[in-house]
Amino acid sequence: MSLLQATEVAKRYGGLAALSDVDLSVGEGEFVAVIGPNGAGKSTLLNVLTGLVLPDGGRVLLDGWDMTRAATHKRVRGGLGRTFQHGRPFARLSVLENVMTGAAIQSGRSELDLRERAMAVLDQMGLAADAQAPIESLSYGHRRMVEMCRALACEPRVLLLDEPAAGLNSAEVDQLVDRLTELRGKHRIAIVLIEHNMGMVMRLAERIMVLNFGCKIAEGTPSEIQSDPAVLSAYLGEGYRHAGV
Amino acid sequence: MSIRFPLLLGAFILIAGLGLSMMLADYHLRLLNLAVISAIAVIGLNFAFGYAGLISLGHAAFVGAGAYGVALLTTLLAWSPWLALPAAVAGTALLAMLIGVPLLRLKGHYLALATLGFNVCFSIVAANWIEVTGGTNGISRIPELQIAGHALGNERSYLWFALVVLAASATVAALIHASRHGRAMIAVRDDETASSMTGIDVPRAKLAAFLLSSVYAAVAGGLFACHMRFISPEDFNYAHSIAYLAMLVVGGEGSIVGAILGALFVTFLPEWLRFLGSAYLAFFGLFVLAILIFLPSGLAGIRRPASFSRDGRIKTLALVGASREARQ
Repeated sequence: MSLLQATEVAKRYGGLAALSDVDLSVGEGEFVAVIGPNGAGKSTLLNVLTGLVLPDGGRVLLDGWDMTRAATHKRVRGGLGRTFQHGRPFARLSVLENVMTGAAIQSGRSELDLRERAMAVLDQMGLAADAQAPIESLSYGHRRMVEMCRALACEPRVLLLDEPAAGLNSAEVDQLVDRLTELRGKHRIAIVLIEHNMGMVMRLAERIMVLNFGCKIAEGTPSEIQSDPAVLSAYLGEGYRHAGV
Repeated sequence: MSIRFPLLLGAFILIAGLGLSMMLADYHLRLLNLAVISAIAVIGLNFAFGYAGLISLGHAAFVGAGAYGVALLTTLLAWSPWLALPAAVAGTALLAMLIGVPLLRLKGHYLALATLGFNVCFSIVAANWIEVTGGTNGISRIPELQIAGHALGNERSYLWFALVVLAASATVAALIHASRHGRAMIAVRDDETASSMTGIDVPRAKLAAFLLSSVYAAVAGGLFACHMRFISPEDFNYAHSIAYLAMLVVGGEGSIVGAILGALFVTFLPEWLRFLGSAYLAFFGLFVLAILIFLPSGLAGIRRPASFSRDGRIKTLALVGASREARQ
């Protein structure tokens, strides 16, 4: 039985089918990537999973719990985490306070406990030195890491990452890949990654799902996807097979 | 932040206030009493506006609900003021809950207009429900507060009592600010979607900020009724709501120290500028404008780093409010 399961999810905006009957299933500790051209419905899928958008049809289950219509904060308390496309840390709180907001996911924790948990996450992600800094003093890459730390402090079982490498330089992307690998090794968090950086996707993902015009056009291991003719014509491009990325 | 800052803040208020109470003459003591009472209301408004970003233009109605609650319970039912005060605060919180659940579904300017409408309704009811509120004649002969048989009859003794309440209010507010609840309110103002994605129940955090703000307003209203011993609908019309907002913006929204400084400053400014005569309001309008432009984080921001930048849109609204007040 999979941990996160979306069945026949559909969402229309007027005449446009943003998602038509898309299935997604993520097992415990699994790393799944969702790729596809811009406008394929990747972000809409994340929004349906997190409850920011309610689907017109289909069901979303988290460990057997039907959360199709549940409020976002309840899903988060149930073990779903997410980061946003351009990073959305709370600008009026310090780095530590941002992460403490996430650690407060369980009620009844003392301030000291919240602080220690937040520091542990920051430490693990290499941000402990910036704990007291205001968000505005951080670089773009660091801000995105703060958001990641905040999501991790919520102790998710499934973490949805919306283009975490966008806007990062190649050294930062390498670092991100290392941290994600480490995270999975330590905590067995299942990860759903939306990303255009194919090098990163192929290195990390165990399974890849390809969306185009709101439909799933392929699903399989990285090597299967790289040689799938439908994927090559819709997204990767015919030259991809020979580029040897 | 530990428990140290809230306690220091409370202690500082008590010591500074005590010092002032020894130096000032009766008339200025009266003003200081009014400023301290306003400061309690403005600390409350800071929860809704400064932290959670809820633009409330109906704060004076909650001050009025607290004041009328105390006045009615003490004059009609002959309750002791000590019993009437908590009852009026609880009643106001209930009112805020009934108003807040539907109104807080609105955002930004819509919420501002709806709360303004609530304030106007309050004034109309207070002025026209003559059998209960006495209409525009108001309610007089509100009994004075007594502590262990000693009446708080003069300005100085009342000020001491009001200072204790202010110190306690500021300490509690600072403790909430530094808690998960304070962080949740601030997060909600920064980004509602990201807040819900951090497990924060956004509607609940907003309602909590709104309720807290109404409780502080009701405490201020109760103190006002016991201090003036006479209240009328004019004391709580929407111009007062805008004045509270101006105090918070001048002092520095999002800051408890700012709320107190703003209340003091805006209460005493007319005294210092008496020589301007009727040109005062025009000056006040320009002064608030200057604060918004040159000191966007208010008086309390003079020592704060510029990194605490502000939301320009909300500023503009406060500015419109201030100019409206200046026109009256």
